[in-house]
Amino acid sequence: MPQLEQVEFFVSQLFWLGVFFVILFSVLTYITLPKIRAFLNKRDVFVRSHISKQDELIKKAESIIENYEAKLTEAKNQASQIINDAKDKALHESERLLKATEEKIQQEIKLTESRVQKEKEDALSELNNQLKDSATDFISKVTNIEKGNINL
Amino acid sequence: MAKGESPLKQFEIQPIVDINFLGFDISFTNSALWMTITTAFILIFFTVPFLKAKKTNSVSDLYPTRMQVAAELGFNFINSLLADTVGKEGKKYFPLVFTLFMFILFGNLFGMIPYSFTFTSHIIVTLALAMGVFIFVTVLGFVKHGVKFFGFFVIPGLPVYMLPLLIPIEIISYLSRPISLSVRLFANMLAGHTLLKVFAGFVSALGFFGILPLVFIIALTGLEILIAFLQAYVFAILTCLYINDALHLH
Repeated sequence: MPQLEQVEFFVSQLFWLGVFFVILFSVLTYITLPKIRAFLNKRDVFVRSHISKQDELIKKAESIIENYEAKLTEAKNQASQIINDAKDKALHESERLLKATEEKIQQEIKLTESRVQKEKEDALSELNNQLKDSATDFISKVTNIEKGNINL
Repeated sequence: MAKGESPLKQFEIQPIVDINFLGFDISFTNSALWMTITTAFILIFFTVPFLKAKKTNSVSDLYPTRMQVAAELGFNFINSLLADTVGKEGKKYFPLVFTLFMFILFGNLFGMIPYSFTFTSHIIVTLALAMGVFIFVTVLGFVKHGVKFFGFFVIPGLPVYMLPLLIPIEIISYLSRPISLSVRLFANMLAGHTLLKVFAGFVSALGFFGILPLVFIIALTGLEILIAFLQAYVFAILTCLYINDALHLH
């Protein structure tokens, strides 16, 4: 097995292992790893700051949404108020008109009724008078009494 | 195999440039070459995407490019691994665990390239890494707790008469950490690559029926890539656990 037979190269292997390990270790420690770390840190800081910024923005957005919703409910309330008012107004108006019309109709009915009554009475009295006249005529013709002397 | 080649030949060290320093042979070998490639790849992979990072704070600069996402993936993987096992104190040890994990991971993965060399398949390399981790966590334990670190070998809530038996066991288990850590990685790499080469030998030896071992090799290569990742992960997570032990004792 060359690993155990080539003893003459042990020193060489150890020497070069030492050389390259030290080179690798030194360069990594003092140049490469700090560079990588700095790069990662920079990104970390950036991401973290953006996360905090994002939190702020989310809060802002939430407050805006709250504001908007409050305004929306207010507007809705106002609108329903206006609608109710208008409904009430319309209802009142129509009731008022209905009443007025009904009253007018009642009045008209009453007026008409009284006119009819009067006409009826007039007609009756005229009929009565005519009856009286014709009765007077009949009596005067039969009895020869002047019309002026007959009083029924 | 077909040409009389041993499946272990892939593990042979071949010097590329002979270097002799103060009597020590520190030749630049194929092992060192793949360490170079691994190191260069890791550095390019993780550094280049972030070189152009602009200083402005505009949003478009914060969108990661594809390469940045890939590099971040590795970064975050080790980050969460360390956070889960050690906790907040673990951040200090992040570069160490990251380096270990990436070095082993890409060493393993590049070892899957045909004709490449897997430097993690050499016990001397894995043992050196494991000993490094072992010495580091032991020193860390003594620095954090001083003499109290020896209390680590005393399991709390145990009857006193059991201690003479269990303290040696604890010490042995502690001392065997670097061995288990290194042998686990080395043996996995050795076994996997050897198995692949053995079956690759069957492909040419069986002629037409070589298609069967070939299918097997394809599946096995997938498994080996998984193991390459898994062993790097195991090495990293055990390092994390050892660091955690050193920091918090029990």
